[in-house]
Amino acid sequence: MEQPDNAENLEADAPIDGLGPEGPNGYQNTSPIDILRIKEQMFNHCVEMSAQINAVERKRSCSTSEAERNLAENVSELEEAKTDQFIKTLPLHRMQMWHAMAEKLKQNNPESDSIKAASDRCMALCSQIKQLQQESRDMEDQVTDTRKKRLELKRLTREKMKAMDQLMCKWDPPELEKYKAAQQKGQLNMEKYKTMIVLTQNVLRGILLACKINWLDDPKIKAIAMTLEDLPITD
Amino acid sequence: MSLLRPLSKLPDLNAANVLLVENEEHFQQKLADVMVNEKSVIVQVRLAKSLPLPMKQEKSRPRIDLVVFIVNLMSELSLHSAEASLKHLAPGYFLGKVCFMVTNARNASVPAERMEAVRKLASALNCPLLFAEDQTPDGVTNAAERLLVILRVAAGCVPMTTALFLSNLTRCTISTEAEQQNSDYDA
Repeated sequence: MEQPDNAENLEADAPIDGLGPEGPNGYQNTSPIDILRIKEQMFNHCVEMSAQINAVERKRSCSTSEAERNLAENVSELEEAKTDQFIKTLPLHRMQMWHAMAEKLKQNNPESDSIKAASDRCMALCSQIKQLQQESRDMEDQVTDTRKKRLELKRLTREKMKAMDQLMCKWDPPELEKYKAAQQKGQLNMEKYKTMIVLTQNVLRGILLACKINWLDDPKIKAIAMTLEDLPITD
Repeated sequence: MSLLRPLSKLPDLNAANVLLVENEEHFQQKLADVMVNEKSVIVQVRLAKSLPLPMKQEKSRPRIDLVVFIVNLMSELSLHSAEASLKHLAPGYFLGKVCFMVTNARNASVPAERMEAVRKLASALNCPLLFAEDQTPDGVTNAAERLLVILRVAAGCVPMTTALFLSNLTRCTISTEAEQQNSDYDA
């Protein structure tokens, strides 16, 4: 396929500055670091090429949606592999560090002395922590004991109250019978005195009306007259 | 066939080649000037207005590790030209060796649909989408640095990382409505 317009599609090179120790295509002055770098680069290229080969192989059997699903699956697989590897390197690093610390402790430097002092302090703090935890546990036990006792007491008081209520219900009738007679007599007396009061009030009212005095002006007579209206007229 | 293929040539050792494709040809020159100053890798920058590349330089062209499409959001033609050039890339490039760079995204006169279109394009192709500020030298330097990160990975100069792996981390994604709702509830 020929290019339509060479004048439009000009391709240009930007000027190159700053050549490395090797030159663009040369192999001189290769130090071990350079060789390692070259090896890493080759590894990356090989990975890319194998990825492209895989892509071509799978092309015939895939539609875009399936390809996207595959992509998502592969990405998640990749992430799982990475986390797996990270998790496995963590204990490895831990072991390396402990080994280094143990080696260090065996020697007698000021550093190992400071490490020992730090570890002694850690031990002291840990035993203190244990002690405090034990104390707090004991105090919690005490608290639960007092709570239990309090609940028990509450229950007992409630039972006593119930018993008292029952007794109160049972004892009422005998008292009534004793005082019934006295109650009736008192009531009879009350009725008697009530009628006497009503009679005297009526008489007083009659007298006031008959004398035709002006009870509104005189405060004493007014007070007496006001009380006359309270009781209803009986008989 | 005028397809640009990623693996058809031998790689250069400790070198990285990048192809900047831009319709307006402003930004790519500035980027190129900054990028070739990189010390750790030998960077070769090739500039093009669009693909397909002319055949006559086929022999002398080295293997291209990364193709960057620079889209200026101010012009519709930029986006169309980039889309048309995409057809001339071999599918092997879309495994992490293509990147989109967008300039003038902060400009108020840019219609939102163009930005959406670029986003959809980048996410459909699983490519990273970078935003660059091309007016100040600081902006150019920053854009060049970010491109260099991706370029180093694409050229294989970073151990334990390949372009495909990086593109899975940096690819542009557009959230659908459901995902947006979920993220609202989570927040």
